[in-house]
Amino acid sequence: MSEISISIKEILQDQARSLKLRELAGSNGLNRPVKQKDLHRPGLAFTGFTESFPHDRIQILGDTEILYLRQLDKDSRRKALNYLLHFEIPCIIITGKHRVLKVMKELADEKNIPLLSTSLSISEISFLLTNYLNTRFAPSVRIHGTLVDVYGTGLLFIGRAGIGKSEIALDLVERGHRLVADDVVDLICKPPGVLIGSGPDMLKHLIEIRGVGVLNVCNMFGVRAIRLQKRVETVVELTDWDGEQDYERLGLDEQHTEYLGMNIPLIRLPIYPGKIITVIAEAIALNHHLKVYGFNAAQDLNRKLNARLRDKTRIVDYLKWDDE
Amino acid sequence: MVSKKVKITNELGIHARPATKLVRIASSGKSQVSLIKDNQRANAQSILGVMLLEAISGSSIIIEVEGEDEEMVLEKLVRLINNNFEED
Repeated sequence: MSEISISIKEILQDQARSLKLRELAGSNGLNRPVKQKDLHRPGLAFTGFTESFPHDRIQILGDTEILYLRQLDKDSRRKALNYLLHFEIPCIIITGKHRVLKVMKELADEKNIPLLSTSLSISEISFLLTNYLNTRFAPSVRIHGTLVDVYGTGLLFIGRAGIGKSEIALDLVERGHRLVADDVVDLICKPPGVLIGSGPDMLKHLIEIRGVGVLNVCNMFGVRAIRLQKRVETVVELTDWDGEQDYERLGLDEQHTEYLGMNIPLIRLPIYPGKIITVIAEAIALNHHLKVYGFNAAQDLNRKLNARLRDKTRIVDYLKWDDE
Repeated sequence: MVSKKVKITNELGIHARPATKLVRIASSGKSQVSLIKDNQRANAQSILGVMLLEAISGSSIIIEVEGEDEEMVLEKLVRLINNNFEED
Protein backbone atom coordinates (compact mmCIF):
# COMPACT_ATOMS: atom_id res chain seq x y z
CA MET A 1 0.00 0.00 0.00
CA SER A 2 1.40 3.37 -0.95
CA GLU A 3 1.80 5.94 1.75
CA ILE A 4 -0.90 8.57 1.77
CA SER A 5 0.29 12.16 1.64
CA ILE A 6 -1.57 15.45 1.35
CA SER A 7 -0.04 18.83 0.61
CA ILE A 8 -0.75 21.92 2.69
CA LYS A 9 -2.11 23.46 -0.50
CA GLU A 10 -4.75 20.70 -0.72
CA ILE A 11 -5.75 21.18 2.89
CA LEU A 12 -6.19 24.90 2.24
CA GLN A 13 -8.23 24.27 -0.90
CA ASP A 14 -10.53 21.85 0.93
CA GLN A 15 -10.73 23.39 4.34
CA ALA A 16 -9.55 27.03 4.36
CA ARG A 17 -13.11 28.26 4.66
CA SER A 18 -14.47 25.87 7.26
CA LEU A 19 -11.31 25.95 9.37
CA LYS A 20 -11.02 29.74 8.91
CA LEU A 21 -7.41 29.39 7.84
CA ARG A 22 -5.33 32.31 6.56
CA GLU A 23 -1.87 32.19 5.04
CA LEU A 24 0.61 34.42 6.82
CA ALA A 25 4.02 33.42 5.53
CA GLY A 26 6.11 30.63 4.08
CA SER A 27 4.00 30.38 0.92
CA ASN A 28 6.87 28.73 -0.94
CA GLY A 29 6.41 25.70 1.26
CA LEU A 30 2.77 25.05 0.41
CA ASN A 31 3.67 21.86 -1.42
CA ARG A 32 5.06 20.34 1.75
CA PRO A 33 3.47 16.96 2.36
CA VAL A 34 1.55 15.92 5.44
CA LYS A 35 2.00 12.21 6.03
CA GLN A 36 0.71 12.02 9.59
CA LYS A 37 -2.88 12.44 10.66
CA ASP A 38 -2.02 13.47 14.21
CA LEU A 39 -1.45 17.06 15.28
CA HIS A 40 1.10 18.32 17.78
CA ARG A 41 1.40 21.22 20.20
CA PRO A 42 5.10 21.91 20.41
CA GLY A 43 5.21 23.45 23.90
CA LEU A 44 8.48 22.13 25.28
CA ALA A 45 10.24 22.20 21.90
CA PHE A 46 10.60 25.99 22.33
CA THR A 47 12.75 25.40 25.40
CA GLY A 48 15.16 23.32 23.35
CA PHE A 49 13.86 19.93 24.47
CA THR A 50 13.39 18.36 21.07
CA GLU A 51 14.03 14.74 21.89
CA SER A 52 11.35 12.59 20.24
CA PHE A 53 9.85 15.77 18.79
CA PRO A 54 7.25 14.65 16.20
CA HIS A 55 8.41 17.00 13.44
CA ASP A 56 6.34 15.26 10.75
CA ARG A 57 3.07 16.48 12.25
CA ILE A 58 1.24 19.75 11.77
CA GLN A 59 2.23 21.98 14.69
CA ILE A 60 -0.49 23.95 16.43
CA LEU A 61 0.32 26.90 18.65
CA GLY A 62 -2.12 27.97 21.34
CA ASP A 63 -2.13 30.68 23.97
CA THR A 64 0.57 28.99 26.06
CA GLU A 65 3.11 28.86 23.25
CA ILE A 66 2.41 32.40 22.06
CA LEU A 67 2.54 33.90 25.56
CA TYR A 68 5.77 32.04 26.24
CA LEU A 69 7.36 33.43 23.09
CA ARG A 70 6.07 36.93 23.87
CA GLN A 71 7.76 37.15 27.25
CA LEU A 72 11.16 36.20 25.82
CA ASP A 73 13.62 38.85 24.69
CA LYS A 74 14.32 39.18 20.99
CA ASP A 75 17.32 36.86 20.79
CA SER A 76 15.84 34.13 22.95
CA ARG A 77 12.66 34.31 20.93
CA ARG A 78 14.52 33.70 17.67
CA LYS A 79 16.45 30.91 19.33
CA ALA A 80 13.26 29.29 20.68
CA LEU A 81 11.63 29.44 17.26
CA ASN A 82 14.71 28.00 15.63
CA TYR A 83 14.53 24.92 17.82
CA LEU A 84 11.25 24.20 16.09
CA LEU A 85 11.88 25.55 12.62
CA HIS A 86 15.14 23.82 11.92
CA PHE A 87 13.04 20.67 11.56
CA GLU A 88 11.28 19.97 8.28
CA ILE A 89 7.80 20.47 9.72
CA PRO A 90 4.78 20.48 7.37
CA CYS A 91 3.23 23.70 8.68
CA ILE A 92 2.46 25.80 11.73
CA ILE A 93 -1.02 26.97 12.68
CA ILE A 94 -1.52 29.79 15.15
CA THR A 95 -4.87 29.75 16.89
CA GLY A 96 -6.96 32.42 18.50
CA LYS A 97 -6.70 36.13 17.99
CA HIS A 98 -3.02 36.65 18.60
CA ARG A 99 -0.98 39.19 16.71
CA VAL A 100 1.70 37.25 14.89
CA LEU A 101 5.29 37.86 15.87
CA LYS A 102 7.33 39.42 13.11
CA VAL A 103 10.25 37.11 13.65
CA MET A 104 7.99 34.13 13.12
CA LYS A 105 6.98 35.35 9.68
CA GLU A 106 10.61 36.06 8.78
CA LEU A 107 11.74 32.60 9.83
CA ALA A 108 8.79 30.87 8.13
CA ASP A 109 9.62 32.66 4.87
CA GLU A 110 13.29 31.88 5.24
CA LYS A 111 12.70 28.13 5.87
CA ASN A 112 9.73 27.86 3.52
CA ILE A 113 7.50 26.50 6.22
CA PRO A 114 3.88 27.60 5.77
CA LEU A 115 2.61 29.72 8.64
CA LEU A 116 -1.16 29.80 8.94
CA SER A 117 -3.55 31.37 11.37
CA THR A 118 -7.11 30.58 12.32
CA SER A 119 -9.67 32.46 14.37
CA LEU A 120 -10.94 29.19 15.81
CA SER A 121 -9.95 28.12 19.30
CA ILE A 122 -7.32 25.45 19.74
CA SER A 123 -9.88 22.79 20.67
CA GLU A 124 -12.11 23.66 17.71
CA ILE A 125 -9.30 23.56 15.16
CA SER A 126 -7.86 20.38 16.69
CA PHE A 127 -11.22 18.61 16.52
CA LEU A 128 -12.10 19.74 13.00
CA LEU A 129 -8.66 19.26 11.49
CA THR A 130 -8.25 15.83 13.11
CA ASN A 131 -11.64 14.83 11.76
CA TYR A 132 -10.65 15.97 8.26
CA LEU A 133 -7.25 14.26 8.40
CA ASN A 134 -8.78 11.06 9.77
CA THR A 135 -11.02 10.91 6.74
CA ARG A 136 -8.20 11.72 4.32
CA PHE A 137 -5.84 9.17 5.88
CA ALA A 138 -8.53 6.53 6.40
CA PRO A 139 -7.77 3.16 4.83
CA SER A 140 -9.96 2.71 1.77
CA VAL A 141 -10.87 0.05 -0.73
CA ARG A 142 -12.91 0.00 -3.94
CA ILE A 143 -15.29 -2.92 -4.31
CA HIS A 144 -17.85 -4.31 -6.74
CA GLY A 145 -21.30 -3.95 -5.21
CA THR A 146 -24.32 -1.71 -4.72
CA LEU A 147 -25.00 0.45 -1.68
CA VAL A 148 -28.54 1.57 -0.83
CA ASP A 149 -29.96 3.35 2.19
CA VAL A 150 -33.04 1.33 3.10
CA TYR A 151 -35.08 2.88 5.94
CA GLY A 152 -31.85 4.46 7.16
CA THR A 153 -29.88 1.21 7.18
CA GLY A 154 -26.93 1.00 4.79
CA LEU A 155 -27.31 -2.26 2.86
CA LEU A 156 -24.38 -3.27 0.70
CA PHE A 157 -25.38 -5.81 -1.94
CA ILE A 158 -22.63 -8.01 -3.30
CA GLY A 159 -22.65 -11.02 -5.61
CA ARG A 160 -21.53 -12.09 -9.06
CA ALA A 161 -21.96 -9.75 -12.03
CA GLY A 162 -25.42 -10.08 -13.53
CA ILE A 163 -27.13 -11.52 -10.46
CA GLY A 164 -29.38 -8.47 -10.24
CA LYS A 165 -27.84 -5.98 -7.83
CA SER A 166 -28.69 -2.98 -10.01
CA GLU A 167 -32.26 -4.18 -10.58
CA ILE A 168 -32.74 -4.52 -6.82
CA ALA A 169 -31.33 -1.01 -6.32
CA LEU A 170 -33.74 0.37 -8.92
CA ASP A 171 -36.65 -1.44 -7.31
CA LEU A 172 -35.67 -0.09 -3.89
CA VAL A 173 -35.42 3.46 -5.28
CA GLU A 174 -38.92 3.04 -6.75
CA ARG A 175 -40.13 2.14 -3.27
CA GLY A 176 -38.72 5.35 -1.82
CA HIS A 177 -35.26 4.28 -0.69
CA ARG A 178 -32.03 6.06 -1.56
CA LEU A 179 -29.21 4.98 -3.81
CA VAL A 180 -25.66 5.69 -2.68
CA ALA A 181 -23.67 3.89 -5.38
CA ASP A 182 -24.22 1.17 -7.95
CA ASP A 183 -21.58 -1.20 -9.28
CA VAL A 184 -18.54 0.54 -7.81
CA VAL A 185 -18.47 1.41 -4.12
CA ASP A 186 -15.60 3.15 -2.36
CA LEU A 187 -15.34 2.12 1.27
CA ILE A 188 -13.40 4.00 3.90
CA CYS A 189 -12.81 3.08 7.50
CA LYS A 190 -13.59 5.97 9.80
CA PRO A 191 -12.09 5.56 13.23
CA PRO A 192 -12.98 4.16 15.64
CA GLY A 193 -14.90 1.63 13.57
CA VAL A 194 -17.42 2.94 11.10
CA LEU A 195 -17.39 1.80 7.49
CA ILE A 196 -18.54 4.51 5.11
CA GLY A 197 -19.41 3.86 1.48
CA SER A 198 -19.78 6.29 -1.39
CA GLY A 199 -19.63 6.28 -5.17
CA PRO A 200 -16.91 7.64 -7.45
CA ASP A 201 -17.80 11.15 -8.70
CA MET A 202 -17.90 10.11 -12.36
CA LEU A 203 -20.52 7.46 -11.72
CA LYS A 204 -22.55 9.43 -9.20
CA HIS A 205 -26.01 7.94 -9.02
CA LEU A 206 -25.90 6.06 -12.28
CA ILE A 207 -27.43 2.63 -12.52
CA GLU A 208 -26.68 0.27 -15.37
CA ILE A 209 -29.54 -2.04 -16.28
CA ARG A 210 -28.73 -4.83 -18.74
CA GLY A 211 -30.64 -4.35 -21.95
CA VAL A 212 -31.52 -0.73 -21.16
CA GLY A 213 -28.26 1.04 -20.48
CA VAL A 214 -27.22 3.68 -18.04
CA LEU A 215 -29.87 5.55 -16.05
CA ASN A 216 -29.38 8.65 -13.95
CA VAL A 217 -31.35 8.04 -10.79
CA CYS A 218 -31.10 11.63 -9.55
CA ASN A 219 -32.51 13.09 -12.77
CA MET A 220 -35.11 10.39 -13.05
CA PHE A 221 -36.47 10.25 -9.50
CA GLY A 222 -35.24 13.49 -8.02
CA VAL A 223 -32.99 14.30 -5.17
CA ARG A 224 -34.96 12.21 -2.67
CA ALA A 225 -33.72 9.07 -4.41
CA ILE A 226 -30.03 9.61 -3.72
CA ARG A 227 -27.56 9.93 -0.92
CA LEU A 228 -23.91 10.94 -1.12
CA GLN A 229 -22.54 8.54 1.47
CA LYS A 230 -23.81 6.04 3.98
CA ARG A 231 -22.49 3.89 6.78
CA VAL A 232 -22.43 0.25 5.68
CA GLU A 233 -24.40 -1.67 8.31
CA THR A 234 -25.25 -5.00 6.73
CA VAL A 235 -23.81 -6.82 3.74
CA VAL A 236 -26.31 -8.81 1.68
CA GLU A 237 -24.63 -11.40 -0.50
CA LEU A 238 -26.87 -12.53 -3.34
CA THR A 239 -26.18 -16.08 -4.44
CA ASP A 240 -27.70 -18.43 -6.96
CA TRP A 241 -29.98 -20.92 -5.24
CA ASP A 242 -28.14 -24.12 -4.46
CA GLY A 243 -30.08 -26.97 -2.84
CA GLU A 244 -26.88 -28.42 -1.41
CA GLN A 245 -26.12 -25.31 0.62
CA ASP A 246 -27.24 -24.70 4.17
CA TYR A 247 -29.06 -21.43 4.52
CA GLU A 248 -29.73 -19.68 7.78
CA ARG A 249 -33.10 -20.76 9.15
CA LEU A 250 -33.45 -19.06 12.51
CA GLY A 251 -30.90 -16.26 12.51
CA LEU A 252 -29.46 -17.25 15.89
CA ASP A 253 -25.94 -17.41 14.49
CA GLU A 254 -24.92 -14.19 12.85
CA GLN A 255 -22.35 -14.31 10.11
CA HIS A 256 -19.88 -11.55 9.47
CA THR A 257 -17.64 -10.42 6.70
CA GLU A 258 -14.62 -8.20 6.89
CA TYR A 259 -13.82 -4.94 5.14
CA LEU A 260 -10.75 -2.91 6.09
CA GLY A 261 -10.42 -4.90 9.28
CA MET A 262 -13.97 -4.23 10.40
CA ASN A 263 -16.57 -6.91 10.99
CA ILE A 264 -19.87 -6.24 9.25
CA PRO A 265 -22.95 -8.50 9.60
CA LEU A 266 -23.44 -10.66 6.51
CA ILE A 267 -26.64 -12.16 5.20
CA ARG A 268 -26.35 -14.74 2.44
CA LEU A 269 -29.50 -14.56 0.40
CA PRO A 270 -30.21 -17.23 -2.22
CA ILE A 271 -32.29 -15.92 -5.08
CA TYR A 272 -34.67 -17.74 -7.36
CA PRO A 273 -37.57 -16.71 -9.56
CA GLY A 274 -40.56 -15.50 -7.62
CA LYS A 275 -38.57 -14.37 -4.62
CA ILE A 276 -39.06 -10.67 -3.98
CA ILE A 277 -35.65 -9.52 -2.88
CA THR A 278 -36.72 -5.90 -2.44
CA VAL A 279 -39.25 -6.75 0.24
CA ILE A 280 -36.73 -9.04 1.93
CA ALA A 281 -34.16 -6.22 1.79
CA GLU A 282 -36.63 -3.93 3.56
CA ALA A 283 -37.20 -6.61 6.20
CA ILE A 284 -33.43 -7.01 6.66
CA ALA A 285 -33.12 -3.24 7.17
CA LEU A 286 -35.95 -3.10 9.70
CA ASN A 287 -34.67 -6.18 11.52
CA HIS A 288 -31.28 -4.48 11.76
CA HIS A 289 -32.95 -1.53 13.49
CA LEU A 290 -34.73 -3.87 15.90
CA LYS A 291 -31.43 -5.56 16.77
CA VAL A 292 -29.77 -2.18 17.34
CA TYR A 293 -32.61 -1.30 19.70
CA GLY A 294 -32.11 -4.59 21.53
CA PHE A 295 -34.76 -6.91 20.10
CA ASN A 296 -33.70 -10.08 18.33
CA ALA A 297 -36.61 -12.22 17.13
CA ALA A 298 -34.56 -15.43 16.93
CA GLN A 299 -33.16 -15.00 20.43
CA ASP A 300 -36.58 -14.11 21.76
CA LEU A 301 -38.13 -17.29 20.33
CA ASN A 302 -35.18 -19.31 21.62
CA ARG A 303 -35.66 -17.91 25.12
CA LYS A 304 -39.38 -18.66 25.14
CA LEU A 305 -38.88 -22.22 23.91
CA ASN A 306 -36.11 -22.93 26.41
CA ALA A 307 -38.31 -21.67 29.26
CA ARG A 308 -41.15 -23.93 28.13
CA LEU A 309 -38.88 -26.95 27.82
CA ARG A 310 -37.41 -26.31 31.28
CA ASP A 311 -40.87 -25.97 32.79
CA LYS A 312 -42.07 -29.20 31.25
CA THR A 313 -38.92 -31.04 32.30
CA ARG A 314 -39.32 -29.83 35.88
CA ILE A 315 -42.93 -31.00 36.10
CA VAL A 316 -42.09 -34.42 34.65
CA ASP A 317 -39.20 -34.84 37.11
CA TYR A 318 -41.49 -33.94 40.02
CA LEU A 319 -44.10 -36.52 39.03
CA LYS A 320 -41.65 -39.27 38.05
CA TRP A 321 -41.70 -41.12 41.42
CA ASP A 322 -45.23 -40.14 42.19
CA ASP A 323 -46.79 -43.60 42.60
CA GLU A 324 -48.77 -43.14 45.78
CA MET B 1 -42.23 -45.49 4.03
CA VAL B 2 -40.00 -46.22 7.00
CA SER B 3 -40.46 -45.11 10.57
CA LYS B 4 -38.83 -45.46 13.94
CA LYS B 5 -39.60 -44.44 17.49
CA VAL B 6 -36.73 -42.74 19.30
CA LYS B 7 -36.25 -41.27 22.74
CA ILE B 8 -34.92 -37.74 23.17
CA THR B 9 -32.11 -37.86 25.71
CA ASN B 10 -30.20 -34.61 25.45
CA GLU B 11 -30.45 -32.26 28.42
CA LEU B 12 -33.02 -29.70 27.34
CA GLY B 13 -34.76 -31.62 24.56
CA ILE B 14 -35.33 -30.20 21.07
CA HIS B 15 -34.54 -26.52 21.53
CA ALA B 16 -33.40 -24.16 18.81
CA ARG B 17 -29.99 -25.64 18.03
CA PRO B 18 -31.00 -29.31 17.93
CA ALA B 19 -33.98 -28.26 15.83
CA THR B 20 -31.64 -26.54 13.38
CA LYS B 21 -29.47 -29.66 13.07
CA LEU B 22 -32.49 -31.92 12.68
CA VAL B 23 -34.06 -29.76 9.99
CA ARG B 24 -30.76 -29.55 8.12
CA ILE B 25 -30.56 -33.34 7.85
CA ALA B 26 -34.28 -33.74 7.11
CA SER B 27 -33.89 -31.26 4.23
CA SER B 28 -30.70 -32.75 2.87
CA GLY B 29 -32.23 -35.76 1.11
CA LYS B 30 -34.99 -36.29 -1.41
CA SER B 31 -37.52 -37.69 1.07
CA GLN B 32 -40.37 -36.16 3.02
CA VAL B 33 -39.84 -36.35 6.77
CA SER B 34 -42.42 -36.05 9.53
CA LEU B 35 -42.01 -36.09 13.29
CA ILE B 36 -44.86 -37.32 15.46
CA LYS B 37 -45.06 -36.66 19.17
CA ASP B 38 -48.18 -37.66 21.07
CA ASN B 39 -50.87 -36.62 18.60
CA GLN B 40 -48.89 -33.81 17.05
CA ARG B 41 -47.34 -34.13 13.64
CA ALA B 42 -44.69 -31.76 12.30
CA ASN B 43 -43.00 -31.45 8.93
CA ALA B 44 -39.35 -31.99 9.79
CA GLN B 45 -38.28 -29.48 7.15
CA SER B 46 -40.08 -26.68 8.99
CA ILE B 47 -37.93 -25.41 11.81
CA LEU B 48 -40.74 -23.62 13.61
CA GLY B 49 -42.92 -26.74 13.39
CA VAL B 50 -40.17 -28.86 14.90
CA MET B 51 -39.60 -26.38 17.73
CA LEU B 52 -43.32 -26.30 18.47
CA LEU B 53 -43.32 -30.03 19.32
CA GLU B 54 -41.68 -29.02 22.60
CA ALA B 55 -40.01 -32.41 22.80
CA ILE B 56 -38.33 -32.45 26.20
CA SER B 57 -35.69 -34.87 27.42
CA GLY B 58 -37.23 -38.26 28.05
CA SER B 59 -40.05 -37.89 25.54
CA SER B 60 -40.41 -40.17 22.55
CA ILE B 61 -40.96 -39.15 18.96
CA ILE B 62 -41.72 -41.16 15.85
CA ILE B 63 -39.74 -40.31 12.73
CA GLU B 64 -41.50 -41.08 9.45
CA VAL B 65 -39.57 -40.86 6.20
CA GLU B 66 -40.94 -41.38 2.74
CA GLY B 67 -38.98 -41.11 -0.49
CA GLU B 68 -36.19 -42.63 -2.52
CA ASP B 69 -33.49 -42.19 0.11
CA GLU B 70 -35.73 -42.86 3.11
CA GLU B 71 -33.47 -45.48 4.74
CA MET B 72 -30.44 -43.23 4.65
CA VAL B 73 -32.24 -40.15 5.97
CA LEU B 74 -33.87 -42.12 8.77
CA GLU B 75 -30.57 -43.62 9.80
CA LYS B 76 -28.92 -40.19 9.90
CA LEU B 77 -31.72 -38.72 11.99
CA VAL B 78 -31.71 -41.60 14.46
CA ARG B 79 -27.96 -41.27 14.81
CA LEU B 80 -28.25 -37.52 15.46
CA ILE B 81 -30.87 -37.99 18.16
CA ASN B 82 -29.07 -40.93 19.80
CA ASN B 83 -25.89 -38.86 19.87
CA ASN B 84 -27.77 -36.17 21.84
CA PHE B 85 -27.63 -33.86 18.81
CA GLU B 86 -23.86 -33.72 19.16
CA GLU B 87 -24.20 -31.21 21.97
CA ASP B 88 -21.14 -30.49 24.07
